[in-house]
Amino acid sequence: MALDIDRYASVASPIQRWDPRVKTAALGVLIVTIALLKTIPMAAAALVIGAAIVLISALPLHFVSHGLSFILVFLVPFFLILPFSYPGQAAFHVLGLPFAWEGLRLAALIFMKALAIVLITFSAFGSSRFDVSMLALQRLKCPKVIVQMLLFTYRYTFVFLDEMRRMYTAMRARGFIERTDRRTLRVLGHFVGTLLVHSFERTERVYKAMLSKGYQGELHSMVEFQSNGVDFIKAAVVLALVVALLIGDVGGRFAPAAQAWY
Amino acid sequence: MHISEGILSAPVLTAGYVGAGLLAAATMRGMDMEEVPKLSVITSVFFVTSLIKFPIGPSSVHLILNGLAGVVLGWRAFPAILLGVILQAIIFGHGGVTVIGVNSVMLGGGALVAYGVWQLRHYFSFARKEFAFGALAGGIATISSGLVLSAALLTTGEAFFAVAGAVLAAHIPIMIVEGFVVGACAEFLNRVKPDILAGQKRAKPQVTAT
Repeated sequence: MALDIDRYASVASPIQRWDPRVKTAALGVLIVTIALLKTIPMAAAALVIGAAIVLISALPLHFVSHGLSFILVFLVPFFLILPFSYPGQAAFHVLGLPFAWEGLRLAALIFMKALAIVLITFSAFGSSRFDVSMLALQRLKCPKVIVQMLLFTYRYTFVFLDEMRRMYTAMRARGFIERTDRRTLRVLGHFVGTLLVHSFERTERVYKAMLSKGYQGELHSMVEFQSNGVDFIKAAVVLALVVALLIGDVGGRFAPAAQAWY
Repeated sequence: MHISEGILSAPVLTAGYVGAGLLAAATMRGMDMEEVPKLSVITSVFFVTSLIKFPIGPSSVHLILNGLAGVVLGWRAFPAILLGVILQAIIFGHGGVTVIGVNSVMLGGGALVAYGVWQLRHYFSFARKEFAFGALAGGIATISSGLVLSAALLTTGEAFFAVAGAVLAAHIPIMIVEGFVVGACAEFLNRVKPDILAGQKRAKPQVTAT
């Protein structure tokens, strides 16, 4: 599991050089716009934009494709259910179930939008170090407590992932095989319980270690943000795309075709 | 189960964020400097346990354990789940960034319901009551989250009625799995380190005769 989203944050690209504050704000606006699109051509355009951003960010494709696995699996049922559950006139019948093209259209719309957004999210957070991204969020007025906790949680996730792997290896070495039975469920419950007990003991040590290093509730960072004109030019390009998508979606020659494929 | 991007309408997304913000503010009241790193460490445990899979036939289902979060963290389960949802959206692409609000209300709300169910154990006294109430908490958390998810899908329109029904049906086996795991975990914790569980009553100090 690629837990370290910022593994390739040092790969040079125009996205990577973009000031993280401006990048997060601009791409955030783009993401929200895409989420609300209603026409197929604009959703397809959004998908092209998302793919373009991923390519520009120069992130390795295997890394990005791994991140898409959830969204692809989650959306397959929509393609199977929506065409058959769409209310209204059915175009034809498959195995006795009414098939409506509008349902397929809706599923395709959702799919393209979700895929575009995940591609952009991955590009945004994969191109900066995680703590830099979080600090950027804080500068954009995200609550400090949340940002601080996100940083801690991210950092300790790797510690517990290691511990989980060790414990799992130990279980397997003692002959544990996961099956669909109650014993497995009980063992998993105890497994999680053991992790929790370890973590509670750890929290005490973590907190005392931080106190001894002078923690007083504030996280001090040596990260300094510097934005220049190029950052804002990139933001302007993104905002122009946002406006184009909105116009194409709401007005323009695609509007009458809001329920069609073109 | 998280809902993904691109499905819900703007009012629902906004309502999700407003709800999540209100619940976060309410459940994070009185959080002091000491609790911030501690809650973060526990949150990372729950985050990591969502990677554990339970095999069902040819496929497998990931553990959600929002019920366990309620049983262990009490009110603070909501910020823990909020953090988990944010990280999952950023790192895994589970759910998504526009639906962080809705997903948090869905899963975090389920955790708070689980806490409520868990606290009911004080009114009863029988053997293995921790397992019973833990299992109830785990199962009810799952079905509550499923109901919120289905309701969100229903708001999107008639086309999603069947999907909402399928989602709710899919939560039934998950409810059983979660119930058993949370129940076993609660029982284990009660034996090994009962202080971890939320709402444990302290033993009354013994009055010694002078």
